[in-house]
Amino acid sequence: MNGNTVLEIQGLSGGYSLNRPVLHNISFQVKPGEMVGLIGLNGAGKSTTMKHILGLMNPQKGEIRVQGKKREEDSEAYHGSLAFVPESPLLYEEMTVREHLEFTARAYGVARTDYEERANRLAQIFRMQDKMDSLSTHLSKGMRQKVMIMCAFVARPSLYIIDEPFLGLDPLGIRSLLDFMVELKEGGTSILLSSHILSTIENYCDRFIVLHQGSVIAQGTLQDIAAQAGTSGAGLEEMFYTLVQGRD
Amino acid sequence: MNLAQLRSERRSRFWGKEVLPYLGYVIQSGVAVLLLFLLIAFSAWYTSLVQHIPAGLPIRWIMLILLVPLTVNSSFRTYLQPADTVFLLPQESRMNHYFNASWISGVVYKLLGLALLFLISWPLYVRSDEAPKSCGLFLVVLMALKLVSSYGCWKELRMVSRRAAMSYRILRYVIIALAVGAWLWQPVGRSLIFIVLIAVTYFVALRVPAKHLVAWERLIAQEKTHSGRVLMMLGWFVNVPGRQQRIYARKWLSWAGNRIPWKPGAAYRYLLMKSFVRSDILGIVLRAGILGALLVWWTRGGMLGSGIYLFFVFLAGVQLSSLLRYHSESFWLHVYPIPPGSRRTNAIGLAFQIQLLFAFLIWLPLLGAIGEKPGAVLITLAGGIVLSLLFRFFAGRKKTADDDDE
Repeated sequence: MNGNTVLEIQGLSGGYSLNRPVLHNISFQVKPGEMVGLIGLNGAGKSTTMKHILGLMNPQKGEIRVQGKKREEDSEAYHGSLAFVPESPLLYEEMTVREHLEFTARAYGVARTDYEERANRLAQIFRMQDKMDSLSTHLSKGMRQKVMIMCAFVARPSLYIIDEPFLGLDPLGIRSLLDFMVELKEGGTSILLSSHILSTIENYCDRFIVLHQGSVIAQGTLQDIAAQAGTSGAGLEEMFYTLVQGRD
Repeated sequence: MNLAQLRSERRSRFWGKEVLPYLGYVIQSGVAVLLLFLLIAFSAWYTSLVQHIPAGLPIRWIMLILLVPLTVNSSFRTYLQPADTVFLLPQESRMNHYFNASWISGVVYKLLGLALLFLISWPLYVRSDEAPKSCGLFLVVLMALKLVSSYGCWKELRMVSRRAAMSYRILRYVIIALAVGAWLWQPVGRSLIFIVLIAVTYFVALRVPAKHLVAWERLIAQEKTHSGRVLMMLGWFVNVPGRQQRIYARKWLSWAGNRIPWKPGAAYRYLLMKSFVRSDILGIVLRAGILGALLVWWTRGGMLGSGIYLFFVFLAGVQLSSLLRYHSESFWLHVYPIPPGSRRTNAIGLAFQIQLLFAFLIWLPLLGAIGEKPGAVLITLAGGIVLSLLFRFFAGRKKTADDDDE
């Protein structure tokens, strides 16, 4: 194992059924301060990979380490090292925005003063100041997604798992999110990001992992992907299209 | 599309697949046996009361308090689902075919419940009142008022303005209370004229507010509340999958939980406290507390007072046991770094503390009898504390399928 790795996935196979694995022998790493884009068609296995990392599904084969630890070794430290932003907002209907942030900060052991400072800043960045004391049921879908993002960012783990974060966000929200992710990355935080908006993430991610039918078919920097796709000077969308075309 | 059949299928699915499988466990559970025992004890007490009615019993007030809530209470199970706003919307003009059965079952079962309560209270009424009304006519009046209330409730559900719906709800409560009061206190002829006049005025008033053809969002929210309540009641006996219940904003309680220690081990307690103060359970516990305190005050100084006190502490314990099943399927509790074991410990601890506070507060009316029977009053409090401790003990032993400690 590489000691300088935040997330290490080695030979991961898994899925809902033993007889029909969704993921096939997946291996990749995310290093400190890296933003890695996980891209693939619908059903390629992106969300399943994330569920395995989060410990919601158990690998049939292979192993996953976050900060060098497997989940079975120290569940609390493992989960304390990562935060997740889901594709669809999952909020407690009975809690306000502020209470969601506070619950997250308490669970991650964030100091109260740090929490207050971060919560105020996030509310400002995502233009949620006047919604902080609203129940989550009274928020629009975009605002609910902002709450999910704010919750993840109020904790400061070493790894973020972010699944399709742009869905439902307004243009200013998308810009704020991207800027904040860059800020975190520059501070040494790692991000594994899944998105279909390839033209956007192309400019922000350091590396890409292309999943297709549960297998990694290409990975590396934009230049590496271009070489594997046999396209040069093309954008990520074109490379991706070339890679998955005709593989069905 | 056969809308009546669709509703019927949904109804069968809910009761057949979501409720029926648990009924066996309900019958087997100790709580069910205890409730049966309480029913037998109530029957014995009631029979004795009917045979030896105390002089000056305020029977008309008792009948008013017993009958008005059940006459007013109206609700309808529609089994509507959020997706219906997309898939059933094109059928909006035909939705009366779907709702006919909701209306009938919503009225018929409640009429039967009201009739049962009336027949149970009838022996007490007929033997206590100076000029009791005839049984048949009394029942017919009650049934008619119940139909008026149900019709009004259905119209309220369709009102565009929420404020108007709330105002009409209050109006309905007042009208039914006045009508039952007039029937109990006034002669038959005069009270019947009053009831007819007030009902006609009410029907005319109901025509005024603007209404939706189908109030989709309100009906879906109501359905969610009703199904959540059924599963919550099942949850008193067996572990059933949690379902989101109605949320009450209760801004006046937003401070609750803020002083819980700031550490990961108590994070779940924070979440649970927030959920509790905005849940149905708090409302039920508060209502039980007020009713219990009043009854304890009324019967203080005797064994009956102590019995009623312990019954209400038990009732609060049963209600609060729902807290142990809260968030059993919460996604974030699997993802957040909450220390193993802290969920269960926090839930049991919080339920115990609330029950203990409840036991203390509804004991306070017994202080009115401390001068006469200090020993009995203090022993009753001790009984309440022991009962709360027993709930805590059994909750600690009980294994749940979703126990995070395992």
